Amino acid sequence: MNLSYRLRLLIVLLSIGVLTGGGFLFKNLLLPDSFGVYGPYRSDAITEAALVPIRHGTNAPCFKCHPYEAKIHKTGRHQTISCEFCHGTYADHVADSKKIGTLPVKKEKEITTLCLRCHNNEIKARKEEVIKTISMPNHLKDQNVKITHNCNQCHHVHAPLKYIIRAKKITELMEAGS
Amino acid sequence: MNRRSFVKKVLNGTIAGSLYLVWPMGGDGLEIPEQIPGIRGQDYDILNQKFVFIVDITRCIGCGACCVADKREYNVPDGNYRTWVERYVKGFSDEIYVDSPHGGLDGYQHPRTDIEEEIRDTFFVPKLCNMCKEAPCVQVCPVGATFTSPDGFVLMDEKRCVGCAYCIQACPYSVRFLNPVTKVAEKCTWCYHRVRKGLLPACVEVCPTGARKFGSMKDETSEVYKILKGPGVLTVLRKEMGTFPALYYEGARREVI
Repeated sequence: MNLSYRLRLLIVLLSIGVLTGGGFLFKNLLLPDSFGVYGPYRSDAITEAALVPIRHGTNAPCFKCHPYEAKIHKTGRHQTISCEFCHGTYADHVADSKKIGTLPVKKEKEITTLCLRCHNNEIKARKEEVIKTISMPNHLKDQNVKITHNCNQCHHVHAPLKYIIRAKKITELMEAGS
Repeated sequence: MNRRSFVKKVLNGTIAGSLYLVWPMGGDGLEIPEQIPGIRGQDYDILNQKFVFIVDITRCIGCGACCVADKREYNVPDGNYRTWVERYVKGFSDEIYVDSPHGGLDGYQHPRTDIEEEIRDTFFVPKLCNMCKEAPCVQVCPVGATFTSPDGFVLMDEKRCVGCAYCIQACPYSVRFLNPVTKVAEKCTWCYHRVRKGLLPACVEVCPTGARKFGSMKDETSEVYKILKGPGVLTVLRKEMGTFPALYYEGARREVI
């Protein structure tokens, strides 16, 4: 081909223009914003992941409105247990500092089932230094109570040894007095 | 300062700045005290962070509180688990029996009855995302929907995911699943949204025995820093895969995979 110098220059310039324009279009139309700041991904996704609202509060906001339960819970052996495990999440109960729903309270046989999730001796995997375990119904027989008893009839659910210690103190006093 | 580092610095500022504005005005957030020091109310330096998760198998009692909390925190559909608890039963013939009914959601109420030989040892192993430094799931993603963030978290970009499930096949720890509701891949994030607000992950928060531990390695007073600095035996799962997990197991028997 015999092209003039000007025509060749025009072709070169045009192809550069098409390439840069195409690249520019590709970057703007096909790649999302904030792509490639830290790597081949959208870095805005990090911000989005960080701004997801939380659903579990800690025990602290529970204790604020329930001081009676808080006082018992904080002194008992069950102080490491999260309120939300048994009762449900903070987000189902409070939003914008207003109550939006009632959380369920476990009753009767549900309580025994819940206790045995952790305290069942039959699963031979729970160490004595980590958790006190019992086996049902042997524990009821050993303590001379009715076989139909639920755990919470002797143990306060928030502080399991509360009544046990009190009963022991009373019997000690009675023995000392007699 | 070259252009790359300048752009990085500017973007850090905007990310940290936007969080700084949003979080303290969140209302409810003010009631919840900080659990991980050095995050709330400060510029979050995303390039200079390292978080570590430690699971102490000797303290796990298999109550499944972590699984319940996880399901509630993310409304995980039934049948899928971001975290779960496995029960390992070891017989005297060195046979290993592993089960995880409902992922441990209902706890472990009954011992296994289908094992005929005498049982030597039983223990629980909680499983969750290993947050690999060299994550196989990130390498295989064709659209850049999963990535390792500069602070070491392997996160999902739900808006970009096309649901091809390559990452689910690639993960050696099987922590990923395809969410049947949103139709995109989902995984444990170590509760990134909670960590960035200075709170512990939900499973760590509810663990009654302290079997799950989480903290920053940049904070020399944190529990995880002391454990990693100490002489305790820590293992990672599937070391031979070369994934370099940030999740450590304390007291794991060699049978745990």
